[in-house]
Amino acid sequence: MAAATRTAPRAREIFTTLEYGPAPESHACALAWLDTQDRHLGHYVNGKWLKPERRNSVPCQDPITGENLAICLQAQAEDVAAAVEAARTALENWSTLPGARRAQHLTRLAKMIQKHQRLLWTLESLVTGRAVREVRDRDVPLAQQLLQYHAVQAHTQEEALAGWEPMGVIGLIVPPTFSFLEMMWRICPALAVGCTVVVLVPPASPAPLLLAQLAGELGSFPGILNMISGPTSLGPVLASQPGVQKVAFCGAVEEGRTLRRTLAGQGLELSLALGAESLLLLTEAADVDSAVEGVVDATWSDRSQGGLRLLIQESVWDETMTRLQARMGRLRVGRGLDGAVDMGARGAAARDLAQRYVHEAQSQGAQVFQAGDVPSDSPFYPPTLISDLPPASPCAQTEVPWPLVVASPFRTAKEALAVANGTPRGGSASVWSERLGQALELGYRLRMGIVWINAHGLRDPAVPTGGCKESGSSWHGGPDGLYEYLRPSGTPARQPSLSENLNYDTFGLAVPSTLPAGPETGPSSAPPYGLFVGGRFQAPGARSSRPIQDSHGNLHGYVAEGGAKDIRGAVEAAHQAAPGWVGQSPGARAALLGALAAALERRESALAARLERHGVELKVAKAEVELSVRRLRAWGARAQAQGHTLQVAELRGPVLRLREPLGVLAIVCPDEWPLLAFVSLLAPALAHGNTVVLVPSGTCPIPALEVCQDVATLLPAGLVNVVTGDRDHLTRCLALHQDVQALWYFGSVQGSQFVEWASAGNLKPVWVNRGLPRAWDQDAEGAGPELGLRAAQTKALWLPMGD
Amino acid sequence: MAAHNLGTELDLSWISKVQVNHPAVLRRAQQVQARRTVKKEWQAAWLLKAVTFIDFTTLSGDDTSSNVQRLCYKAKYPIREDLLKALNMHDKDITTAAVCVYPARVCDAVRALKAAGCNIPVASVATGFPAGQTHLKTRLEEIRLAVEDGATEIDVVINRSLVLTGQWEGSDFIKTSTGKETVNATFPVAIVMLRAIRDFFWKTGNKIGFKPAGGIRSAKDALAWLSLIKEELGDEWLKPELFRIGASTLLSDIERQIYHHVTGRYAAYHDLPMS
Repeated sequence: MAAATRTAPRAREIFTTLEYGPAPESHACALAWLDTQDRHLGHYVNGKWLKPERRNSVPCQDPITGENLAICLQAQAEDVAAAVEAARTALENWSTLPGARRAQHLTRLAKMIQKHQRLLWTLESLVTGRAVREVRDRDVPLAQQLLQYHAVQAHTQEEALAGWEPMGVIGLIVPPTFSFLEMMWRICPALAVGCTVVVLVPPASPAPLLLAQLAGELGSFPGILNMISGPTSLGPVLASQPGVQKVAFCGAVEEGRTLRRTLAGQGLELSLALGAESLLLLTEAADVDSAVEGVVDATWSDRSQGGLRLLIQESVWDETMTRLQARMGRLRVGRGLDGAVDMGARGAAARDLAQRYVHEAQSQGAQVFQAGDVPSDSPFYPPTLISDLPPASPCAQTEVPWPLVVASPFRTAKEALAVANGTPRGGSASVWSERLGQALELGYRLRMGIVWINAHGLRDPAVPTGGCKESGSSWHGGPDGLYEYLRPSGTPARQPSLSENLNYDTFGLAVPSTLPAGPETGPSSAPPYGLFVGGRFQAPGARSSRPIQDSHGNLHGYVAEGGAKDIRGAVEAAHQAAPGWVGQSPGARAALLGALAAALERRESALAARLERHGVELKVAKAEVELSVRRLRAWGARAQAQGHTLQVAELRGPVLRLREPLGVLAIVCPDEWPLLAFVSLLAPALAHGNTVVLVPSGTCPIPALEVCQDVATLLPAGLVNVVTGDRDHLTRCLALHQDVQALWYFGSVQGSQFVEWASAGNLKPVWVNRGLPRAWDQDAEGAGPELGLRAAQTKALWLPMGD
Repeated sequence: MAAHNLGTELDLSWISKVQVNHPAVLRRAQQVQARRTVKKEWQAAWLLKAVTFIDFTTLSGDDTSSNVQRLCYKAKYPIREDLLKALNMHDKDITTAAVCVYPARVCDAVRALKAAGCNIPVASVATGFPAGQTHLKTRLEEIRLAVEDGATEIDVVINRSLVLTGQWEGSDFIKTSTGKETVNATFPVAIVMLRAIRDFFWKTGNKIGFKPAGGIRSAKDALAWLSLIKEELGDEWLKPELFRIGASTLLSDIERQIYHHVTGRYAAYHDLPMS
């Protein structure tokens, strides 16, 4: 038996060192696929490759070797238009199909991915440089699960989502450093509910194109998923195509802000998912070794796009740093297609960003620790731990990039919360503590979209994933992900309402001065006067008033002329009232809303008389009061059924889907239905735990002030604040206020556009009517589930269990 | 064996401070197996290294001197000579780390190993193996007799009733289990034990050895265990003084993998000598 046919020259040496060797995954199939396109990739539109002539192109390179893999065409406006046209055509059929039929198609796509998974994972790893292990073992299976989960949702859509309809064509914009999985999170719910999609993928990303091709090769419904390759600057072009109803953007915070401003007034919905930094909070009651693995999961395992802010309790600081540094020493960095590396490379841009941050941190006095088995050639960046960064330094305020961890100590859990919540970011966080009470307390009080207890980075299609604050308030996964692509049935489609010459600098800046306008006449008694702020009526800062005329043009009364300082005071009062109101149980909130409803009933004749003076028939006025009473009671009852528990495959333990208050919610009420609209907006806002600053109807603000007389005696001070005055001016103050967490605006076209533009400041979620009237007396529009959805934000709290 | 664990003051606050998050440890256990892989000559070298960690074991009721003798011979020559030559490893004196038998078979093992002309240590399970539920007096006597017969390593079954009531014992080596339980060496349990070993080392400077036993049958398993030790404790623990694998059938699978590595063919059962 001749054994020596293949020898291993290095075995002796390895036997002594016991080192790891290269474990390359063959990417021959990825190259073979690129060859089928002659290494020349275009766009994938309407089930076909689109490779127009005379276009710029960019090379698609292996980020590690720099080898040119293919040439990718860059789209121009007409290519985008062609893709949107294909999606519009496909929409007619796709959106009217029975859900079961769409479910079937999504399931077929899941199977298609399963059949070609090796091609998908090698291509993705080859081009992005991410560790193939992560793509193969996590992304690709998750992509299939996403399709399957959403197929089930499509199946039950007619029943579970009655009263909602698909929005239409969705434009999706994804950033250069993203995985195809991020795209799947958004495509799946959109397709499931009956929307069609145009994705603007970054230049040189073949994996999404492959995915589109796989979908196209299913044969039926070719135009539902279209991929256009091009720079993010094409985003506004995509958004401005007629027929696009919504744009979903994920990427950097500043890009999101710019896009928000650009798209103001274009009449389409915009959802943002911004930034990639995460947070890990390690208490002294933690399993420190496991928490250290959590840090690895969060930053150094090619799972997430961003860096990590690490908060460590002072008493375990030394121990944690020792363990963390020891663990870092065992990390392996290398070619993504190597099956035994923890981290691949992300290309020059990501590396330079990390390098800049590290240099800056060092110059600001921080300690930098780098370790791991890292090849010395340039595309790689080592796992990096930064500590002793002064909290006030500029670096401490900016987002931590991949693959950096910035550690800082805290003394008490309370301080940890203050630090963690003290940033504009509100993406994801994990809490590490073996003390149940402490873990839950921290989990509930972190202002984040996702919180994991004793784990980091878990994902599941059934669990909504999103954020708050400047991380953007959009959701994917779970029920919340579906609503992103739905609108209440009968909502008018997008109408371009852009006024080009709206001057953002001057809109609502000045308040026209008002003069005495004659004697207050009329049947009813003198109306309440003043701004209702902090639980009492106050004189406005400007010490001026504005006259309110009744329907005959006679002076009904004067209301206070509120201004910027009054808005500031009102927002402050609302913030002071917030902790107490959030702490109330839904039952207690319902009881107070019920009491307010009863008070309104007692005041019915006075309110009806006020409405009558504004030209409302007495019978209709009475009906308006009655309906308002009903609204208060209904929202009190609905708020008691909030949030629920999700069961996740492969996870022992529940995930809580919490519905949390937005914070201080500013509401600019419409002119019409002066009482009913005011109450219809106020009730859901309060029921969901928000504190509010309202601007009542401009033409008829007095009924709202009348209600405030009861609010003053029944509700905690500061919970409801009503500021009268020039609507444009007040809207301006509220929209630009950085500490207002959300804004609902029902007014003019220009006002809506301004609100959308100004909301880019703190990226508050806004809801604007674009000058369109709303049937406040109809339950669908005046008290529909849409209000409840908009009045609270979701948080997913993961609670893995085990003994 | 390494220098003995000289022990330290019993400080139960160490134990009470230990936090173990079960689901997190389970996740780590899954990852460790998925994140490291060795191929080609690295795999061959790692497998040969694994051989040198094996406590080559027979613990059957029907053990006799003949099968113990065969075991000892295989311990001395674990991999076919021509395969080792092909790898240029034939002069590395690759043997298993020890042979492990019941106390009554220690004499047979010592005799057989002497006849084979090698100094592989004989380990013996003792102290009422596998339950450990016998009197302290007979347990001690059992150890004494095994040592008299020539055993140089004793796998002691601790009195688990004491552990469960919080009364701890010390040792040079810790073992996942007897190998005779329904669940034996699992990754999550090992992770917790290895972290305890590391903490003990950081606190006292004493290196405690680790021995997973039971259920480790495939070459792939063995590689996963090696990388687990490498990841959690580091290379300094990857030597027979500090790491053993208690196994009986593992060796033949390793030999088959080596055969495949060298020849590019899969071996038939009769191609490799039995133990």
